[in-house]
Amino acid sequence: MSQAPESVADLQEQLRGVDYLADRGLATATLIALRLGRPLLLEGEVGVGKTELAKCLATLTGRELIRLQCYEGIDTHQALYEWDYARQMLHVRALSEHELTDASTMSGLYSEEFLLERPLLQALRAGSNAVLLIDEIDRADDEFEAFLLELLSDFQITIPEVGTVAAEGRPIVVLTSNRTRELHDALKRRCLYHWIGYPTVDEEVGIVSVRAPEVAGTLAQKVVDAVHRLRDLDLAKPPGVAETLDWVQALGAIGAEDLSGATAADTLGSVIKDRDDLELVSSDIGRVVDG
Amino acid sequence: MADAPVDTSIVDRLVEFGTALREHGLPVGTDDVLAFCSAVAELTPSDSEDVYWSGRATLVHRRDHIPVYDEVFRRFFLHVPASAERKKVKDMKVPQGSTGTINIPDAEPGDRQSDERPMVLGLEASSLEIERSKRFSACSEAELAAVRRMINKIRLEPPKRRTRRYCTDPSGSTLDIRQMARRAMNLNDAAPELLRMDRKRKQRPLVLLLDISGSMADHSRNLLQFAYSMKRAAQKVEVFCFGTRLTRITPLLDRRSPDAAMRLASERVVDWDGGTRIGDSVEAFVKDWGRRGLSRGATVIICSDGLDRGSPATLAESMEKLERLSHRIIWMNPLQELQAGVPPTLAMAVAGPHIDEIASGNNLESLEAFAGRLPQIG
Repeated sequence: MSQAPESVADLQEQLRGVDYLADRGLATATLIALRLGRPLLLEGEVGVGKTELAKCLATLTGRELIRLQCYEGIDTHQALYEWDYARQMLHVRALSEHELTDASTMSGLYSEEFLLERPLLQALRAGSNAVLLIDEIDRADDEFEAFLLELLSDFQITIPEVGTVAAEGRPIVVLTSNRTRELHDALKRRCLYHWIGYPTVDEEVGIVSVRAPEVAGTLAQKVVDAVHRLRDLDLAKPPGVAETLDWVQALGAIGAEDLSGATAADTLGSVIKDRDDLELVSSDIGRVVDG
Repeated sequence: MADAPVDTSIVDRLVEFGTALREHGLPVGTDDVLAFCSAVAELTPSDSEDVYWSGRATLVHRRDHIPVYDEVFRRFFLHVPASAERKKVKDMKVPQGSTGTINIPDAEPGDRQSDERPMVLGLEASSLEIERSKRFSACSEAELAAVRRMINKIRLEPPKRRTRRYCTDPSGSTLDIRQMARRAMNLNDAAPELLRMDRKRKQRPLVLLLDISGSMADHSRNLLQFAYSMKRAAQKVEVFCFGTRLTRITPLLDRRSPDAAMRLASERVVDWDGGTRIGDSVEAFVKDWGRRGLSRGATVIICSDGLDRGSPATLAESMEKLERLSHRIIWMNPLQELQAGVPPTLAMAVAGPHIDEIASGNNLESLEAFAGRLPQIG
């Protein structure tokens, strides 16, 4: 575990150490979130490194990464805790056979032993030893957001049978959203907000060289230039940084040392994932590759 | 913090900045300003870039507020005068010869001051018993107002879908083991009863795309009223207006009064009574909203007469995409009945294969019938 970052530049340097290149804005927002103990809400296009930041923060701080993937219909049983009913029942059977079912043994039924921890409870318990990643919060229902509000403001939760569980230290909380719907302002107010845009050409070449060091600098430059031209086209799904890395690695996998019209066409599937987009790009592949 | 020497002049300046943002329409709360001040304090010694980024993380909660923030920051800390360019761009967006406002008849005819006819209350009220099958286009102002009041009362129930969640249901298909375990514990050794459950049902989202161009002008106001009552009846409703381009008006419909909401909607939709480009509008919807999942699993209702001035190829392509992104597509065409026996318009012919149902909706009766049929469509 490295030392707590002293400044924005220091944090940038530390993140670079775990192969994550953050620009000044992102690094500042992250540093403030760490210092003030507030959740960090990241929005941005697909594949620009929102989730990756949480993973890198976990590596950097030596904390455990606890991830809650949101989806439509997610509820407290999947997010917070659930009782292990089958085991409780077996336990009751065992007790009743020995005629031990008095008040004290019965109350033991709702003890930690039978509590199944889900990500949010895990994160509360781990406290300052955890990075809690609440991924794609926009996919969950509105009600779930309201439930999160309570958790994110006080970092405590009440389980009726057990009592209140409060985090001893605050976990680092990162929320990500792909903006498929607008989040409630109440939730946003609890968080620090940062919009991650696409990196510049130079930044992206830097990211490729850090993440895929085996790739030659000239090839990286060429691929990044091509990806930036793709982003300028009117595509339904513009490629993110993740796609740039996929593309570079796909080229490496087929042993290509240069990005030409032919090699680009062969590996286009790693960067363009939509049929209409594929048609549009294929018809003009030369211009995408050579500018 | 109490014993640390606080430089009040800096704090004052930061608070002033928060106030300036508020004046420009950003919802900046006192807690946001507090967070901003503590963020800046954490970063000392700070340069203006630190101040900029800490403000962006603490005071801005939405992406569309970033340009406003930038502008205010520039003026406040860097003393750059308000850029005239931004304003220019905004002005240029309004096409020449069209104005942003139009007069919408009020739901209550008496609302309007300029109404010169003397009100004969008793008689007027009874004459408003309009026929339910009268075409909207044949209605008078007062009748239309009555129609709108009635539309407001139509009860709507969007189609439903099964969700992942379960609820108790005696005739359900799955055993509720959790409840059975609980019961079994209480009953001790009594034979456990079989408890059943089934998937919960949830309303599908509704997406309305309303054509408000010239050829639809008569209908669009009534349809807006219909959209408004839908918005109040169903949980998830998104409403868009289109003519030559597409505008999202959902937030405007949250207003209490439909008249106020419609006035606001019309202010936003500058191409009211312009030409129709259905294909481009559907394409815009698919690109900006549909792709992101807004219409996923939704019933999409397009209200248009199909008199399209755009390219049929674009329409065909965008309808195909829309079909893949949504659950059902319903086309409400007020000319539907008039056109019986006449070959459909090119747009309708092109869109036809992608439409699940065509409704008319040109009078109160058909709107009510449509509202009644809606639950079954899913």
